[in-house]
Amino acid sequence: MRKKGLSLVTALSILSALVWLAGLAWVLQDQFFADNKNRQAESLKPDTAQQQKQNSSGKTLQIAAIGDSLTRGTGDPDGKGYIGYLKEELAKTTKKEIELTNSAIKGQTSVQLLKQIQQPQIQRQIKNADVILLTIGGNDLFRGGQALEELESKNINKTEDVYLSNLKVIYKEIRSLNKNGIIYHVGLYNPFSDMQDSKTTSSIVRKWNYDSANAAAAQPNIIYVPTFDLFELNVNDYLYSDHFHPNKQGYQLIGERTASLIRFSEEDQK
Amino acid sequence: MNKLVHNELLKLFRKKRLFVIILIIAALVPLFTYAQYQEVKTTREKLGNVDWRTQLQQEIVDTQNRLSSSRMQDDWRKYLKIRLAQQQYYLDHNINPQAPGAPTFMRVFVENSIDLLLPLLVMVVAADLVSSEASGGTIKLLLTRPVKRWRILLSKYLALILSVSFIVTASAVLSYAISGVVFGYGGWGMPLLTGFSTSGEELVTNNVHLIPQWQYILMEFGLVWFVCLVVGTLTFMLSVLLRSTAAVMGIMLAALIAGAILSNMVSSWESAKYLFMVNLSLTDYISGMATPIEGMSLGFSLIVLLVWAIGGLVVSFAVFTKKDVF
Repeated sequence: MRKKGLSLVTALSILSALVWLAGLAWVLQDQFFADNKNRQAESLKPDTAQQQKQNSSGKTLQIAAIGDSLTRGTGDPDGKGYIGYLKEELAKTTKKEIELTNSAIKGQTSVQLLKQIQQPQIQRQIKNADVILLTIGGNDLFRGGQALEELESKNINKTEDVYLSNLKVIYKEIRSLNKNGIIYHVGLYNPFSDMQDSKTTSSIVRKWNYDSANAAAAQPNIIYVPTFDLFELNVNDYLYSDHFHPNKQGYQLIGERTASLIRFSEEDQK
Repeated sequence: MNKLVHNELLKLFRKKRLFVIILIIAALVPLFTYAQYQEVKTTREKLGNVDWRTQLQQEIVDTQNRLSSSRMQDDWRKYLKIRLAQQQYYLDHNINPQAPGAPTFMRVFVENSIDLLLPLLVMVVAADLVSSEASGGTIKLLLTRPVKRWRILLSKYLALILSVSFIVTASAVLSYAISGVVFGYGGWGMPLLTGFSTSGEELVTNNVHLIPQWQYILMEFGLVWFVCLVVGTLTFMLSVLLRSTAAVMGIMLAALIAGAILSNMVSSWESAKYLFMVNLSLTDYISGMATPIEGMSLGFSLIVLLVWAIGGLVVSFAVFTKKDVF
């Protein structure tokens, strides 16, 4: 019995030594000597059939969120951001299952967002979404809060022009991907409204919001959600310690306001 | 010669070393399987969505978010950038790198155990091949036989090679068999990308090509086998040099763990790349991870390990044939 076991193990060992040696040889052949030109990965065909299957059921509400740190939730200790609270609010009112994809990137400007929505996966998410949430522009305007001193009107007008033209393309791009989904563009607030120069900064943010809302109105089903008023009084109670991003309470305010705009048909209500 | 090797294997077999190692692997694999299973479950719950594309996209976005943070070390940033490029490549080409299945688990398992776990197990076998005979005194009985000393040592070394092969096979079979209960046994044919190489911060993809997962796994196990052999050879050398098995184990253990620690901190100490323990993660070259030190490549690491192993062998045979045994 013992003897048999040993010779079995020996045979197995010899066999496996040969197999692994072959594996090693294959590594060398594959990594160093093979002519890989002929078998490029490009030949792969994406399985489009599988990609199409989404969004077919009416039982789910698909939300695609894109944009900057506000959508990401920077400043919220729970990391939910306004999207998280919005989802919680919606869950109270609907029977539908909510599927949320958050593709926002901290510090993203309108130029970067424009690039991001060219990616096929992001496009797929937008295409499948019933609701599209968007925040953008804060980084164009404030550049992370460092550019306060440079709030000269000439520079600001220039940045705003660039931003607006980007925004229009973004809207158009989203609309061409998704004809029916409703876009909620969450507007800007003024994080500096309790500081000196608050008159100047507030008027800049107001103008910025006004122009963005105009751009939104040019396309169907784009709702520009104001947040300026939410933060106007007691701004410090709603801001995170960086004095720029909202804190939990701030995000809750935005989330509740946006959620209140999303209605469901009778049968989907709770 | 055959008889000598057989004799050595018999000793190993009687000591139940291989048996213990199989038990260790069999105990650990369910642990990892459960961990992996939990991970899959939580990501699914978090996203509320089972589509892997969404998940991968989410990972990409998370990585981008981390990259935008200003407090980050340069080499970590580099690593993330490479990872990002790779994930994007998988996404653009519609390849799911984490498709569930026992073969995928095997792959993840072997990639994570190549630099520490499996070398440690090999060390357990190799550490007392010679030193136990020296400390137990049986070496005298062995050497009084009319067989040349180098033949005795060679038979021990061959027995070591066979047991290393056996350990690698056992870990392959066990990880496949056990994880398959949870993940299912399919997925051998899934295409995977290999051939990534890094130069500086860029991910070079012009040599990237697809291979089926079974070939990928075979290649990775070939590398694991090679690494285990090298570690085994070095342990074997120490076993010849030292009488105490505990000392052999201690030194090897320290070296292996030092390697794991060093890989995370040597990025600016360039000559550290000639140490064998920094070069153990060979599978990272196949999967396209960032190297701990710039300028390392698969060929480089293979040669470094080979040189160390040959050095170890030369020292072992030179010492063993010359030394006084008392």
